[in-house]
Amino acid sequence: MSHAPEESAVSPARTEGIQKFFHERLGLEVLAGLAAKKLVPIHRSTHFYFLGGMALFLFIVQIISGVLLSLYYKPSPDQAFESVQAFMTEVDFGWLIRSVHSWAANLLIGILFLHLLTAYMMRAYHRPRELTWVSGILLLLLFMAFGFSGYLLPWNQLAFFATRVGTALVGVVPVVGPDLLLLARGGENVTGDTLSRFYALHVAILPLLTLGMLGFHLFMVQQHGMSIPERDLRRYGGRQQIPTMPFVPDFLLRDAVGWYLALGLLAALAALFPWELGEKADPFGSAPEGIKPEWYFLFMFQALKQLPGHILGMEGEMLGTLFFGGVGLVVLVVPFLDRGPRSRHVLNILATAAVLFFIVMTAWGYFDKNSLRLILGASLSLGSLALTIPFTNRGTRSRSVLWLLGTLAFCLLMVGLLWELTL
Amino acid sequence: MEDKCDKLDTCDNCPRRSWLFRMLVGMNLATVASLLYPVLRFLKPRRSTSSGAFQVVAPLRVNQLRPDEEGNWPAPFEFAGKPCILVRTLDGEVKAFNAVCTHTDCTVKFRPQEGDIYCSCHGGVYDINGRNVAGPPPRPLESFKVNLRGKPGQEEIIVSRA
Repeated sequence: MSHAPEESAVSPARTEGIQKFFHERLGLEVLAGLAAKKLVPIHRSTHFYFLGGMALFLFIVQIISGVLLSLYYKPSPDQAFESVQAFMTEVDFGWLIRSVHSWAANLLIGILFLHLLTAYMMRAYHRPRELTWVSGILLLLLFMAFGFSGYLLPWNQLAFFATRVGTALVGVVPVVGPDLLLLARGGENVTGDTLSRFYALHVAILPLLTLGMLGFHLFMVQQHGMSIPERDLRRYGGRQQIPTMPFVPDFLLRDAVGWYLALGLLAALAALFPWELGEKADPFGSAPEGIKPEWYFLFMFQALKQLPGHILGMEGEMLGTLFFGGVGLVVLVVPFLDRGPRSRHVLNILATAAVLFFIVMTAWGYFDKNSLRLILGASLSLGSLALTIPFTNRGTRSRSVLWLLGTLAFCLLMVGLLWELTL
Repeated sequence: MEDKCDKLDTCDNCPRRSWLFRMLVGMNLATVASLLYPVLRFLKPRRSTSSGAFQVVAPLRVNQLRPDEEGNWPAPFEFAGKPCILVRTLDGEVKAFNAVCTHTDCTVKFRPQEGDIYCSCHGGVYDINGRNVAGPPPRPLESFKVNLRGKPGQEEIIVSRA
């Protein structure tokens, strides 16, 4: 009985001692000070701040599941497919870990697209955050490269032909194309050397670049604080007046809810829809029917399919590839193109066109049936329109336009559903 | 009862809040556990792909059990996933041992000149009966049963577990 108070008296002193030990040696008070000072503004678009955290969470999932997969994977044309097949069937939860890795990759790209769109709409790229935007776009490109290189690794039919087609696009770039093609494939054809290259890219080169770029991106965010949309700044009358919450623990706990949502979605998708392996690649066989890339490359694939062989004396494919390269470049330098209300207006029209193009091409390429295409397209449109709600005010003309477009998309969705259910 | 707290770490006077906080910590721990479980199971190696064979016919016949031109004894062969070494005593008896050194898992070799079994990694020496006679090995080599079959002089060697 007499022990109890003594023990409880000792234990806080001991934890204090341990805390002091680490504080002295690691300089934790600097971090603690930073954490205490970090504030997150509260306004109508605060929810969009969670997307970056969710992407980061999924990236961590990718690192862990990727490292686990590498324990059993063998990067050679003779063994790659067999090794994946073996750990999916013989190792406990092998199918689940692979499924998580594939699904998380797709979710990650999806969230990055949303992060990009919302950052654009919040104009989070304006001075002094230009480099945050540029590093973000480069990160998106890196993650798309992750997706492309990882797709080949199981060495199945789909992967093989997707890589043939994808690397061929590099080859049509003027002047340097043929050399780039050799560099990408490690030879004239997609062979075991390509597999080794893509493996090195996927597990060593891209992770190093990504960690560096991500560190820079997060440092920039830390350096400048959260960007606040102009309309909310105006509403509250300046940065000082806007309500805030501390990052630790208020925002972090809300962030954790975002991670839980992502985790739950990921677990459900991975367990209910296990990622398929398909058939082993046959380098000399014909491409299987209905072949198409991952959804995030689909808009390019579908658009390039529509181009004729020759346009104005140039090869259609070359023109298409250059066009998408140009679009990418424009997206990269958006902060430097936004030089006032007029240029911003042009940029907004271009951005709307780009999103519409993405939706139409993706819906068109994803399904063979028109009804399903309509459903997908209308749903994606509704989703994108919903994102713009925080940026319009009740009773204004822009809100009316938003309602009009939303109603139109909803009607199209209903038409698609009726069509699908009745025919 | 006042139940007002500003910080999570000063929960002593707020039973409701400390209960919620414990629930949060517990839920997170449960999540971590449910994530760790499949990961740990995944780390467990799959079942061995080598056969657990009880006996094997050696790839050598008795008349091939002699040093080559450079004085090297025939290399060990696989028996149930482990290297197996064959030796021949001076009076012609064939013996088979698990060639894994009992010290640190290297593979031993037979030295016909010295008439012993030697491990190059740390200089362990076994005699021709597999007994550890010098160096660091703590135990004798595992020995297998040998049966000969066929024409005298070039019999097949059948190695089996004792």
